[in-house]
Amino acid sequence: MLFEDILITLLKAVDGERTISSPYHLLKGKKSGQTLQDIGYYKLHPYFGILPKLEKDVYDRAVQGLFKKGLIVTDGEVVRMTEKASAVKLAPTLLNGWKFRGNEQLFMARLSLLVQTLSHIHQNSRVFDPVVIAEDTQQWVKNYLKKINYRDSASCKNIKEGIVQSLNAVEVDESNKMIVLQRLSGLKIGGLTWEQIAREESRSIIDIQVQAVETLHGWMEVIEKGDFPLLRSLLDGVIQHSALTETARRTEGYFKNGRTLEEIAALRGLKTSTIEDHFVELAMNDPGFDILGFMEASLYAKIIAVSRTQNTKRLRDIKENVPEASYFQIRLALATKGEIQ
Amino acid sequence: MNLEKTLYDAYGFTSFRPGQKEVIEKILSGEDVIALLPTGMGKSMCYQLPAQLLEGSVLIVSPLLSLMQDQVAQLKKMGEKSVTAINSFLDAQERSAVLNNLGSYRFIFISPEMLVQPYIKSKLRDIRISLLVADEAHCISQWGFDFRPDYLRISEILPVLGHPRVLALTATATAKVTEEIKRYLKISEPFIYSHPMDRKNIAYDCKKFSNGHEKLEWLRQFVKTNSGPGIIYAGTRNKSQQISELLNQAGIRAAYYHGGMEHQDRIFVQQQFQNGELEWVCSTNAFGMGVHIPDIRHVIHFQIPTSIEGYVQEVGRAGRDGSPALATLLYSAGDEEMLESLVLDDLPTRNEISEIFRSEDGGGQLVSQGIVRQTSFRIVSYWKTRLTEQQTIRQIEQQKVEKIKQSAKIKKLITIDSCFREYLLDCFDEQLDSKPADCCINDGLDYSKFLSGRKTIAAATKTVTWQNRLDAILPC
Repeated sequence: MLFEDILITLLKAVDGERTISSPYHLLKGKKSGQTLQDIGYYKLHPYFGILPKLEKDVYDRAVQGLFKKGLIVTDGEVVRMTEKASAVKLAPTLLNGWKFRGNEQLFMARLSLLVQTLSHIHQNSRVFDPVVIAEDTQQWVKNYLKKINYRDSASCKNIKEGIVQSLNAVEVDESNKMIVLQRLSGLKIGGLTWEQIAREESRSIIDIQVQAVETLHGWMEVIEKGDFPLLRSLLDGVIQHSALTETARRTEGYFKNGRTLEEIAALRGLKTSTIEDHFVELAMNDPGFDILGFMEASLYAKIIAVSRTQNTKRLRDIKENVPEASYFQIRLALATKGEIQ
Repeated sequence: MNLEKTLYDAYGFTSFRPGQKEVIEKILSGEDVIALLPTGMGKSMCYQLPAQLLEGSVLIVSPLLSLMQDQVAQLKKMGEKSVTAINSFLDAQERSAVLNNLGSYRFIFISPEMLVQPYIKSKLRDIRISLLVADEAHCISQWGFDFRPDYLRISEILPVLGHPRVLALTATATAKVTEEIKRYLKISEPFIYSHPMDRKNIAYDCKKFSNGHEKLEWLRQFVKTNSGPGIIYAGTRNKSQQISELLNQAGIRAAYYHGGMEHQDRIFVQQQFQNGELEWVCSTNAFGMGVHIPDIRHVIHFQIPTSIEGYVQEVGRAGRDGSPALATLLYSAGDEEMLESLVLDDLPTRNEISEIFRSEDGGGQLVSQGIVRQTSFRIVSYWKTRLTEQQTIRQIEQQKVEKIKQSAKIKKLITIDSCFREYLLDCFDEQLDSKPADCCINDGLDYSKFLSGRKTIAAATKTVTWQNRLDAILPC
C-alpha cells in the first residue's frame, strides 16, 4: 500500500467529519481519547500507529499532493473527499497497526541481530559490531541463541528455511519483501538506508517505509498462524494480548471490582473526562461491555438510529437530535458500533 | 608489577601504544592525570587496564550518548562483560536493575546529567569508585568548541565519591583549556601527558575557487579520478545530502550521514563504509565517532570547518594505518559568511535566553514547542541557576567574541602562505620538530603519493531477489 492510498483511505472514512490532522495523529499512534474513538467508529484499526516517527512536513506535503490532485477539499474545519477520490480503487491491506502496536520494530530488531550473528558465526567471524545496540534486545537474542544451539549449521539452515517459507506465504509484492531483506545485514553485507532503497526503487522514502511495515505485519501474521516454531519465538512479547492501553486496563480493573466512574477518578487522581475516555475504549474493545449500565435501552436505540439515518458520527450532529443524551453517552453508544441488540 | 602481562592477559595486546604506559603507571600510583591523546591512539586503554588492577569500579563520564554507546560496544567487543551505561536510553526498570547492582560492574559509563541526580548520586556514594574518568574533557571548557555546561558539574560529585583519582582524557586541548580542566575538576597537580599532535603521514592541501559551482565541479572530477575510502565533511545536513546525491549521479558509491537520520540508518552507513561497500561518506561533523577504519585515504572539507580543534580531529581520522593520507580543504569566495553564521548559530539568542528566564517551571516545554533549541536550553538552564539574565547575556556575548576569535584562527588557514602543519601545531601551543617530505600545499606536495588514481571497484554484486540476498547473508 502506498502512503497516498493510506491517506485517501483514512480521509474517506472520516469524510467531512474530521480535520485534516486527524489521520496524522492516528498514523503516529497518539493515544488520545479522540484518536482511539475514531479507530473504533470508523474501523481504522489497520492504520493505528504504523508510522510513529512520521514527520509533520512529510505528512503535510502528502496532503498538499491530495489537494493538488483534486482528491480532497476543505469545508470549514473539516475535509471532504471529492468525487474523483471516491472513484479511487483501494486494495486490501495487510497492515494491522492496532494489533502490532509498533512492535514490528522489536520483531525486526531481534531478527536483524539474529541474522547478523548467524551470518558471522557461520562464516567463522566471531567479532562484529552489532547492528542493534539496545541492551534488552541484545540480551534477548543471546538467550535465544543459547536455546537453539546456534553453532550447529542445522540451526542456521532451519532458520533460513523458516524465513524463506514464511515470507513466501506473505501476500505482498516480491519487491516489498526485498525491502525487508535490504534492512538486514551480515558479514561484508551492510543494511541499506531508507534513502538508498528509495533511490534504487525510484520511490519515495515514506512509501518504502509503509511497505516495509505492511510486509512485516503480513509476515508476523503468517509466522503466528503457521508452523514456524523457530521464528514464532521471535514474537514472544511482541504481540500484545489486550488491545487496551495500559491506563484503560487499570480503569477496567477498578470497574470490575465494582467502583463507579467517579470513584475511579478520585482513586486514580485523574479527571472524570479521562476515565470517560477509558470507558469508551473499553466499550470499543470488549463485546461484553454492559452499556445499559450507563443509559436506558431506548436512549441507546435513539442515538444509533440518528447516527444511521443521518449517516454521521459527529457528536455535535447527534446531540442536536438527541439533546437528552450526554456527550459521554453518545460516545459510548457509538463505540459499540450499534452491534448490541 | 608486569603491566605488559596484564595487558596481554586481559586484552590480548602484546605492547602498549605511545603514552599509554606512562599514563597507566601514574594512575596506579594514585596520581591525577590529564592525558592529551589523539583519537585512535588508544585513549580508552588508559582506564581499561587500571580497571583490571584497582579495586572497585571505574566511573567514566561521557558527554555524548553516541560516544558512550560506542565505547560500551568496543569494550564488549573485547570480551569485557562487566560494563554498564547509565543514560537516558535506559527505561525505569532497566535503570533500577542496574542501580541495584551498581557495585558489581567494573566499568560504569554515565552521562553528566545522570551523574548529578540525587538518587543516582546516593547509589554512587554506596559503592567504591577507584577512578573517575572525564572523557572528552575539553567539553568542560566554556571557551572550547564543544562546551557542555552539565560537564562543569562533575566537581559536585567528587566529594560524594570520596575524591577518587581523576583521569581527564581529550584529543585536543590548548593550554588555556588544560588550565580549565584542572580548575573545574579540582585537580591541582596532575601529571599531564601530551602526545605530539602532529601526524606525519597526513599532508595538507587547500583548493580555492571563485564560486560554489566550480568547487562542486572540482569535487566531481576528484572523486571520478581518485579512490576512497574518504570522508567529505559538509557544513550542514542539507549539504551532505546534496554532495552525496552528486556523487551517486556520477556513479560513485557514496552515502550521506548526519544526526537527523534515524539510528538504524546511521549504523547501516557505518557498516557499508566499514565493509568497503561505500567509497565516500558525505557527512556533517556527526560522523567519525564509532568509525574504526584504519585506511581512510582522504578527508575533504567542503568548506572551512568551524574550529581548529574540530578540523584537526576530523583530519585525524585519515591514515590511521600510517600510510599516506591527504587532507583537502576546499574554499570558495563567500564561504566565510556561512562560517560566521554556522559558528554563531550554536549560541543561544537573546530571545531564547529571555524565554527561559521568564519560564517558571524550568522551561522544558519551550523545546518541544520549538521556541527554544535543545542546545540553547541546556546552556541557558545551566547559567540560570548561577547568573542573572543580564549576566547570562553578557556571558553568551563573551562566548560569541571567543567564537569569532576561533573562527578567525581557522579562516587564517585560507590566507596563510606559510606551513599548514606549523600553523596548526602553533594553535595548540606545540612546536614543529620536523617536516615530512610531503607536508602541505605551501611547502610543496608530491601528489603522486596521495592521488593513486582510480581503482575500478567491481560494482557491488546486485542481488535481484530477496531470496538471493538471504542466500548471500546466510550462506548456510
